Amino acid sequence: MIFKIGIDVGGTFTDFLLMDNEGNSNIFKVLSSPEDPSIAVMTGLNQMADKIGISLASFFDKIEIIVHGTTVTTNAVLTGNVAKTGLFTTKGFRDALQMRRGIREELYNNKYLPPEPIVPRHLRLPVIERVDYAGNIVTEINENDIINGIQLFMDQDIEAVAVCFMHSYANDSHERKAKEIIRKYMPRAYLSVSSSVLPQIRFYDRVSTTVLNAAVGPILKKYLSKLTTRLSENGFSGIFLIMQSNGGVTTPDIVTGLAASTLLSGPAAAPMAGMAYAGLHGQKSFITVDMGGTSFDAALIKDAKPIVTMDGKVDRMALALPMMDIKTIGAGGGSIAWIDEGGLLRMGPKSSGARPGPVCYGLGGKEPCCSDADLILGYLDPDFFAAGKIKLNKAVAEKAIQNLVAEPLNMSLIEAAYGMYHIMNVNMASAIREISVQRGFDPRDFLLVCGGGAGPIHAAMISLELDISKILIPKESSILCAAGMLLSDLKHDFVRSFHTQFPLNDNKKQYFSSLITDLKSAGDTILSNEHISEEKRKFQFSLDLRYVGQYHEVCVPVEIDDIMAMKFEKMAKGFHAEHNRLYGYDLKDEKTIMELVNIRITALGITDKPGFRKEIFAGADVSQALKGQRPVFIPSKMAFAPINIYDGDKMNHGNHVMGPAIIEQKNTTIFVPSMFEIECDQYGSFMMTKINHIA
Amino acid sequence: MANKIDKILASVFQRRFKSITEEMGLTLLRTTRSPILNEARDFVTGLYDAQGRMLEQTEYIPVLAFAVQPALQYIVRYFGKNILDGDVIIHNDVFSGGNQNADVAVFKPIFYNGRLVAWAACKGHQADIGGAVAGGYNPEAREVWQEALRITPVKIYEAGNFRKDVWDMIFANIRYKIVEEDIKAEMGGCIVGERGIKALLERYGISKFKEHVEYLFDVTEKMVRKEIEQIPDGTYPGESYVYYDGIHEGSKMKINLNVVVNDDKISFDYSGSDPQTQGFVNAPLAATASAVLLTFLMLINPDIPHNDGIMRPIQIINPKGSFLNAEYPAATTFGNSITGPNADAIMKAFSNILPKKVTAGWNRFLGFTLTGKDPRSNRSYVDILFLALKGGSGGTYMADGYDHIGLINCAGGILAQDYEMFEIQDPHFLVKHEYLKDSAGPGLWRGGLGIETIFEIYGENVTGIAFGDGVEEEARAFGLFGGQEGSINKAELKYPDGTVKVARSKEIIREIPKNTLFKNIAGGGGGYGDPLLRPVDKVLEDVRNELVSYKSAQNDYGVVIDEGSVTVNKEETEKLRGRNG
Repeated sequence: MIFKIGIDVGGTFTDFLLMDNEGNSNIFKVLSSPEDPSIAVMTGLNQMADKIGISLASFFDKIEIIVHGTTVTTNAVLTGNVAKTGLFTTKGFRDALQMRRGIREELYNNKYLPPEPIVPRHLRLPVIERVDYAGNIVTEINENDIINGIQLFMDQDIEAVAVCFMHSYANDSHERKAKEIIRKYMPRAYLSVSSSVLPQIRFYDRVSTTVLNAAVGPILKKYLSKLTTRLSENGFSGIFLIMQSNGGVTTPDIVTGLAASTLLSGPAAAPMAGMAYAGLHGQKSFITVDMGGTSFDAALIKDAKPIVTMDGKVDRMALALPMMDIKTIGAGGGSIAWIDEGGLLRMGPKSSGARPGPVCYGLGGKEPCCSDADLILGYLDPDFFAAGKIKLNKAVAEKAIQNLVAEPLNMSLIEAAYGMYHIMNVNMASAIREISVQRGFDPRDFLLVCGGGAGPIHAAMISLELDISKILIPKESSILCAAGMLLSDLKHDFVRSFHTQFPLNDNKKQYFSSLITDLKSAGDTILSNEHISEEKRKFQFSLDLRYVGQYHEVCVPVEIDDIMAMKFEKMAKGFHAEHNRLYGYDLKDEKTIMELVNIRITALGITDKPGFRKEIFAGADVSQALKGQRPVFIPSKMAFAPINIYDGDKMNHGNHVMGPAIIEQKNTTIFVPSMFEIECDQYGSFMMTKINHIA
Repeated sequence: MANKIDKILASVFQRRFKSITEEMGLTLLRTTRSPILNEARDFVTGLYDAQGRMLEQTEYIPVLAFAVQPALQYIVRYFGKNILDGDVIIHNDVFSGGNQNADVAVFKPIFYNGRLVAWAACKGHQADIGGAVAGGYNPEAREVWQEALRITPVKIYEAGNFRKDVWDMIFANIRYKIVEEDIKAEMGGCIVGERGIKALLERYGISKFKEHVEYLFDVTEKMVRKEIEQIPDGTYPGESYVYYDGIHEGSKMKINLNVVVNDDKISFDYSGSDPQTQGFVNAPLAATASAVLLTFLMLINPDIPHNDGIMRPIQIINPKGSFLNAEYPAATTFGNSITGPNADAIMKAFSNILPKKVTAGWNRFLGFTLTGKDPRSNRSYVDILFLALKGGSGGTYMADGYDHIGLINCAGGILAQDYEMFEIQDPHFLVKHEYLKDSAGPGLWRGGLGIETIFEIYGENVTGIAFGDGVEEEARAFGLFGGQEGSINKAELKYPDGTVKVARSKEIIREIPKNTLFKNIAGGGGGYGDPLLRPVDKVLEDVRNELVSYKSAQNDYGVVIDEGSVTVNKEETEKLRGRNG
């Protein structure tokens, strides 16, 4: 037996998916250990060995691959525990990092403070040098500024140095010079140079990304070296890969060089998981949602392509690396109910977290949460939460909702609980609207892929808000991201800025093709360092184009053959079409001049994915899984009714249930409302479908 | 009726109204072409009921937040029964509810089962609106016609039919083609709004919609009244000045405000303010009302929904003929810029009754627009230079002022241009854009930092238009409770022959030669509280970061810092602080 393991370190739980070469899967969940996340990782691996019944050593010997997602870098930024970082930047512009273009996100809140800059002003050192927008050197670099700065950095125990000069995407010679000098005098410092990290126009985006990369570099390096040492001490000699925010994986060596690519990587694997599960049903366009204890993540995938954004933010600071476009809101089982000054009920974004957690956990929580409402409405079984490991206390939950929600609103307990449930669903539906309707997509054309422990209780009601008629609940829904990690490819993004009229004039073509060659060889080099053979490499080019005078570009995917052959007219056609899809119009007929801004390449190394085991068809009859009945709140009737409860872990391929019903599994509960039916597929996942009204 | 209200459904409606206006906003952000819309985000989207009462809005900058409803209510009265399904109405006129000539709004009535049920509206600052000078700001204007084309309410679509005659007449009077595109984008935004409201009506029906809208207005009103009740009853005066009318040397115009709080009602009485000026330093009624509401919102719970209910307990007394409510045919383009001085008067009025909520003075806005030809492309360009114009806000209880936030009208919603994009879009070569040392007014909580911007002009046929305030000593951002003033604004042109021209606060400067060095200072905000009480380590941090000088640390904050080691001299500091504090 050989194993593949996906490990997702979250804020509350560390999730594991263990798969063997016969397609069997096993889920493990261990409480996270924020002080040293590798402790929880080792605990989980130990539990797996126990469960299989072999020694840890022989288990490690049989692990072929571990894919790991980590939040150490994100947490480091959010808590301010980053490496001590210094910045060299062009004289005259050392405040761009802190200014953040002067935005205050809360317009009317005069107590709202800007985030502390990662590098304080006295460690942002000006360097005399200047390159203009066309890449011409206007002022030569003053190397003494660097040498004197290094002295100051060493006095200040700087661990990481960032370098970002004006227009370095157009000419990186000054940054390279600076790098050389820093390397020489500070060989152990983590170095982050903007023309390597993100050679892309827009100074603030670049300096912010470069500094974030520097600040988390040493943190990630330390964490990964500790973890890989532990694994190898225990005899692990398989492949070890790390999840990135772009939805791809890479090796520890490479990811340490671009540590910022792990920032916000937490939810990035969910779309990858969705791709595999929806793919099994022949679906290429879908929306993944993942509802945990504190947050709700939603992402949209169209034609098997996840939507990518270069507009990321960590703690309100720009992170312009390409990453999965995931909308996260504060909505989860722990979301707290409150009443605003006007007497309207609100849910979240404040959460009770894992501790004290919802009132019904009995761990001291006083404020009524989403899970408390789910319990009172009968969706959760007090004796079967987390497979009975946690007993839920219904009486205290009732009291909290009665006192803090029902009475102030002059409602019954049940009305209040249903109000909480309903407003949660409306909030989550709004988040999905943002990534669909607001991006020019109609949610009704998409399948909803639902993950997270709390998700399937709400999924059907969310889908009603959006008129979505099909919901897939994967067998591994409670650990969707851990599963996604095993299903991701190696992935690297490269960019070069080249601002010029499009289609290109003849005298620009040579430079253009040299950039293409550069990008392609950068991709080849990195994939060959990851030992990916040529037939498993895939390259995707895209161009950032815009109409002259516009500020925002449109990223247009282009065929590799077209770009090699410089078929500009064809690529322009693609731009007009994409502009039209996004914004409802194009300026093709007006013959408006177009501009090229950036050239991008994504280099993919296709990995061997685990296969899912198919089960034989067992027919529609589900009587073997029926556990009994209990009264559950039925929204369409606005009343309780006794409905069937099924043991999801005993349901087989083809088993069919009509709503209303509850399906309970070890790690999740599915609520099937009256107007839905649900069927177990050949991989043990559930497909829930809205029944069209016959009346 | 009250017993029919489903409070949960009310929450749902409120949430949906908000998200529909956000969708409308995003549509505009993506489809408009003028940088003042897609980059500086100078627009607002909103939904209104059949009578023109605001249901919700999404504003990217506060000054536009309450500037749509007055015009819409005028339109509802103006057309009366002649509002048809499929109409689209355009409007900018400041003498019928508009707030600024360049802010052009598009309104679309929403019909359901043949009945007018709601309105969608988008309003945005246009790159040009006709008049004597490109770009909409004309400090030389004496009457509205020198500033802009007046668009009184007019249908560009009637019952679904495009009125090409009207459209062509309007755009024959506006310089740039992109304004036409941007008005089309506003119409697109209204269609998105209409779609959203109709989907809600399909689902819940018209009677539930109406009842719950009334309920939402009522609860919002209740929230505001509750906030006002907490303010002690009384009359609170506040005054402030706008400096220089653009014509008379040394002129200043007084804002005379009395805030009257009576139980759960509040009034802002501007009686006694100076009469309207001959030039463009005048505000239309809607601009003054907007200034009042945005400043008041900063003093109460910011989470209160933005709908008609918010305005019910608030009365604004603003007699006609004052420069805060100028009569036809006054020039008024400077009206939005009076928001800063007006906010000063409001903050001062509240300073003794809400000392923990008010801020010290914000840096006043000094605008500077450059127009000319870019020799690289031979295309003409207009740049409103929001990169250079964002000074600091005032300090407040428990928080320093916000650095480089910009005018209070926008409250940090307007973004500075990115440096590299700035050099690509315009023929300018940036030399410096940094915080300005000692610009922040000292205080226990200091003011926000101002900035210094220097760039070389490479354009041809360049004209500069200054329109602003804050260049006079008296116009510095004021300090509160022992806090000190912020620094002044300054716009300065150093011509290639070495002569230096300092711009007045309202002035057109023509024929600026190529290779002129433009230097602009946007000053800092005022300080709050005694600077001698500011924690020593905070002062040290500002000195180490070269944001406060050694001299200011000693003289203003009473903190003596040794220059070599950058450490605090405790003994000397205690002497200074002990003596004063």
